Amino acid sequence: MIEFLSYGFVQRGLVAGSLVAASCALLGVFLVLKRLSLLGDGMSHVCLTGVAAALWIGMGPVYVSIPVVMVASLGIMKLAQKFRIYGDAAIGIVSAAGLSLGLLITALAGGFNTDLLGYLFGSILTVTRTETALCAVLLLIILAGLFTFYRALTATCFDEPFARTRGISTQAVNTVLVLVTSVAVVLAFKVVGIFLISALLIIPPVSALLVSRTFKQVLWLAVCFGVTSVWVGIYLSFVFDIPSGATIILVNLAFLAGSYAWSKWGFWHG
Amino acid sequence: MGAGMPGVIEAQHVQFAYARVPVLQDISFQIEAGDYVGLIGPNGGGKTTLLKVLLGLERGSGNVRLFGKPLSEFADWQKIGYLAQKSPVAQSRFPISAEEVVLMGLPLRKGTSISRAELKQVHQAMQQTRTRDYAGRIFHDLSIGQQQRVLLARALVSRPELLILDEPSTALDAKSREMFFDLLGELNSRHGVTILLITHDTGEVGRHISKFMYVDKKLVFFGTKEEFCHSPQMAKQLGPFAQHTIDHLHNGGHCPLGCTCAEAHHD
Repeated sequence: MIEFLSYGFVQRGLVAGSLVAASCALLGVFLVLKRLSLLGDGMSHVCLTGVAAALWIGMGPVYVSIPVVMVASLGIMKLAQKFRIYGDAAIGIVSAAGLSLGLLITALAGGFNTDLLGYLFGSILTVTRTETALCAVLLLIILAGLFTFYRALTATCFDEPFARTRGISTQAVNTVLVLVTSVAVVLAFKVVGIFLISALLIIPPVSALLVSRTFKQVLWLAVCFGVTSVWVGIYLSFVFDIPSGATIILVNLAFLAGSYAWSKWGFWHG
Repeated sequence: MGAGMPGVIEAQHVQFAYARVPVLQDISFQIEAGDYVGLIGPNGGGKTTLLKVLLGLERGSGNVRLFGKPLSEFADWQKIGYLAQKSPVAQSRFPISAEEVVLMGLPLRKGTSISRAELKQVHQAMQQTRTRDYAGRIFHDLSIGQQQRVLLARALVSRPELLILDEPSTALDAKSREMFFDLLGELNSRHGVTILLITHDTGEVGRHISKFMYVDKKLVFFGTKEEFCHSPQMAKQLGPFAQHTIDHLHNGGHCPLGCTCAEAHHD
């Protein structure tokens, strides 16, 4: 274990992974409760466009993907509102557009082989210092927003029409939530890969919802599940030489199974 | 209310359409402070949509003023308590206590803590709606009727001057419904709270209501209960629904003039 922690790249991976997992868990609670769980999935597919475009023009995938995913997420919101399309259908449309465009760029550029595969399946141990700093800034922004606007966020999430009659700009709350999630999704693709980003947004909150009795408990437990899964997942992948991204998600699924068992058989009742 | 004073709600030429299908057509009215208005009409007549347009939840055309201010400039939301027909949260597993739900009705402030004054206000509202006993219980664990009473406490907690309620008694049992309408009547008569209420339960609520508004895409009738009940021409013009409503009022023994037989007014 000590040997495992002595490697610089492992330390950076653990820190960045924990920061991203905590951010995704906090944002995921709101997305799951607002029934926008698949937003992360749609955004992750759009990431492919950003990554492919970045590799094509020779820029850092994170920096190109952030604006691309932000624009796409705003597109999902506009589709749902302006054209009165169901939210999940709007996500499906933008997701398909993102995936198609990404594949098209990859084909036009003659393929990127291993580079692209790294982003598809995650490469947490290649996270840079700058990316780790970005992850820290993101989590700080989320925490500051959560503590300051806790009541507006919970009211919007619980009953949006009523929140509007309290003078809360639910449109602004939703827009900020979606934009911050876009950044989290892009930062998460190095941790678990494009294919598995949505799992970090969905599974820890769902596990926490199964066993929590208060909303604050949900937030803290989701963060605990998310961060612990990153540590256990990276350790297991190091020991057994298996892919870290997939292992992190499997650990999350184990937490989900445990939470379900806990809620089903009510261990807390003795 | 004196002459020239703005109404609590003023609507002028309000129109609304879903996908080009008109739902509300040229609706104009004014509700004064202290009015207790029963909004009635057939299903699909646009009653709920009208309330949503008045609150800015749907964007229609025309002018709406709340407490004398145009809707776009209105910011005193604590003056209004709103209870929707169907709570979007009824089936949700949102882990939040009944007490926290009521707290959402108070003016918004930053931070996560709850002050003693806020808690006192919450408990008073829960006392009024007899929901204090399950203040600490998870909202979605409550029965639909209990949830509805908690949501009513949320509408009352900011001590509003105007209550807008969309079929609030649908999920309540007979005893709770009676208690509920008595409470609304008391808020209106003793505390001067203006009430706009969508209801099909005209027999029960008829004791307290001072005005009726009948909407069937257009504003067909707006006047006092007496005018509504004692106008045979109006009953003919409004068709079977209004006739049924008038019958219901009389059969419930709530005719303002003490009549007991609907036929007396239909001749």
